[in-house]
Amino acid sequence: MEGASTRGVLSHLSLLEVQARSRGSQVPQQPSRVKELKAKVEALTSQRDQLKAELQIHKKLQKLRAPVDGEDEEMDVDSESSELFHLMARHSELTDLLHAHNLIGGYDAITTNRGKSMCFSLATQYEGVYLDTYNLELNLKPNVRISRHNIPPFIPLNSLAEQSDLQTDVRAFLATVSQHLNAFAGRRQQLKLVKEQHKSVEVMESNLLCSILVLMFTVPKKKTPLLCMLEYTDHTRCLPTQVHLNCEDELLPDSPKWKKNCSLLMEVPVHRALTAIKKASDIV
Amino acid sequence: MDNSAKHLLQRLVRRIPASMLKSTLDKWERLTAEKRKSLDFTQSKWIITQELVALCEKSELTVKHITELEMIYITENPNQGMWHTFQLVEPEDDAHSVELMQFKEQFKSHLRELQRNVSVKIKKHTDQAVWIRVAWGDGLSSPNHLKATYVVLYLQTPYVFVNALSSKHKPLLLQALTLSTRHQQIKAANLSGQKLTALRDLLMRQYQQVFPTKYPSPLAESDQSISKLRVEKVQAEASANRHRMAGETFGDGMLPALQSAVFKLETKFKDPTNEAMTQRDEPFICSVKFSSSNLLESLRHCASSGIASTPVTPMLSSIPLKGRNYFVITDNVLTA
Repeated sequence: MEGASTRGVLSHLSLLEVQARSRGSQVPQQPSRVKELKAKVEALTSQRDQLKAELQIHKKLQKLRAPVDGEDEEMDVDSESSELFHLMARHSELTDLLHAHNLIGGYDAITTNRGKSMCFSLATQYEGVYLDTYNLELNLKPNVRISRHNIPPFIPLNSLAEQSDLQTDVRAFLATVSQHLNAFAGRRQQLKLVKEQHKSVEVMESNLLCSILVLMFTVPKKKTPLLCMLEYTDHTRCLPTQVHLNCEDELLPDSPKWKKNCSLLMEVPVHRALTAIKKASDIV
Repeated sequence: MDNSAKHLLQRLVRRIPASMLKSTLDKWERLTAEKRKSLDFTQSKWIITQELVALCEKSELTVKHITELEMIYITENPNQGMWHTFQLVEPEDDAHSVELMQFKEQFKSHLRELQRNVSVKIKKHTDQAVWIRVAWGDGLSSPNHLKATYVVLYLQTPYVFVNALSSKHKPLLLQALTLSTRHQQIKAANLSGQKLTALRDLLMRQYQQVFPTKYPSPLAESDQSISKLRVEKVQAEASANRHRMAGETFGDGMLPALQSAVFKLETKFKDPTNEAMTQRDEPFICSVKFSSSNLLESLRHCASSGIASTPVTPMLSSIPLKGRNYFVITDNVLTA
């Protein structure tokens, strides 16, 4: 059959025909062949059942012995295979751990360029939702250097590399970058949620880094507009470092109610803080 | 409406393609719906212009209003003219808290301190971009609205895109930008092109880059017939490899459309057959320019089809990697 393709379709067909014919001549012999196979099936089934029973007994024995002493005599007998089992178990345990690590936001790393560089992918998430994944490739030789990445320019990658010791502690560097990326993704997600969930709140101003957010509230009764500026100076966090209110009614920002709201905005993600403030009917 | 306003309007309408005229005027909102309806857009451009001038005159619109219309048209169609890129460096401690209102005020006051008679208009676009239009006046003359400079920047990001800036006004604009964004310096980023969107996507890394991962997406199966010979198989492997390398270097899918890349060589001339040139001590200076309607796509194709060798030479891979298309090459170093 090897050369079938080179000889062409017709010769292949005639070959198949010949084979089909020769199979036809075997027909008379078949009944005895069937008998033979049936017998084999029976033998194998009984063997399987026997093995199953043995396995069960073995398990029961192990259970009984375990509390008596940890060392299993039979295990020593096939120490080689038990060692293999141990290794396999350890391997699958580690794979699971790695998988879990990736799931909780760890990075998937891969060696590229024949071991000369490594590529990390940094996943971002906010409140259990997976957001964008960013990639970073590092050259390892002669010294560790960022070779390429798709991290937006407003994340100060180079100064982060300078601050953490890239040559000796790549892990710390990746942790900082990941922290910046997760915080950015989180702030962006919050802004998205504010726009989706709070139609009565107008987003007056924001920037790409989502580090500044100016919101316009409407205070009920007199429909007073209230300007609220949130500043996220700490770019590794999703919570503002400063909340500033501005209103025609100068007394309003200093009222105890709004002082409380301000501290709420500092402590709770903005979209959830707004829900609470709305519930208290402090804004429309 | 004075003559300069009329002239500006006429020039602007001439630039706007007939198919876009109606939608642009609708966004402008300076003419009432009734007045806009009275315009017949099926007529020739010349007649429409005449009617439009008359309408604007009746509505007592000024140069200021006409510049608004121009800004609407340019922001919606930014891919024209030549855009140059600058990079803000060394941010001050408070650079991160510059917000739009503060920036507007600061930029205007800084620029007016440097140059009298400038007209500045600042508007924020929907994609967070801050658009600045500057019309320059000299000394006592009033601002020339026919040659306005456009600047696009995103607050808290280092890149600034500039269109139609004369060398005379360049230091003034750059200084005002540096001060009002609270930075210490600004430098040329060596990237230019006709398409603002392409430059932005390249620098903001908003195009599809390819990275090796542990969980690669399955490759699209090619229709291999059973009779594929060994030679073809080897070829296919090499080709897949070239495609992968080209993708990792330049990216996947649509690439930012750069029109050119310039390499200025200032290196020693090396050719054993040409002694006279080789023995010269001064570097041999020449400039190599690659042009295409989409240079990165072309280079990717060269690499994936085997016309250019892979891995791609750092000179070419530096374009997407560093986000630049102007390089000066001296012996052993690739510098600005």
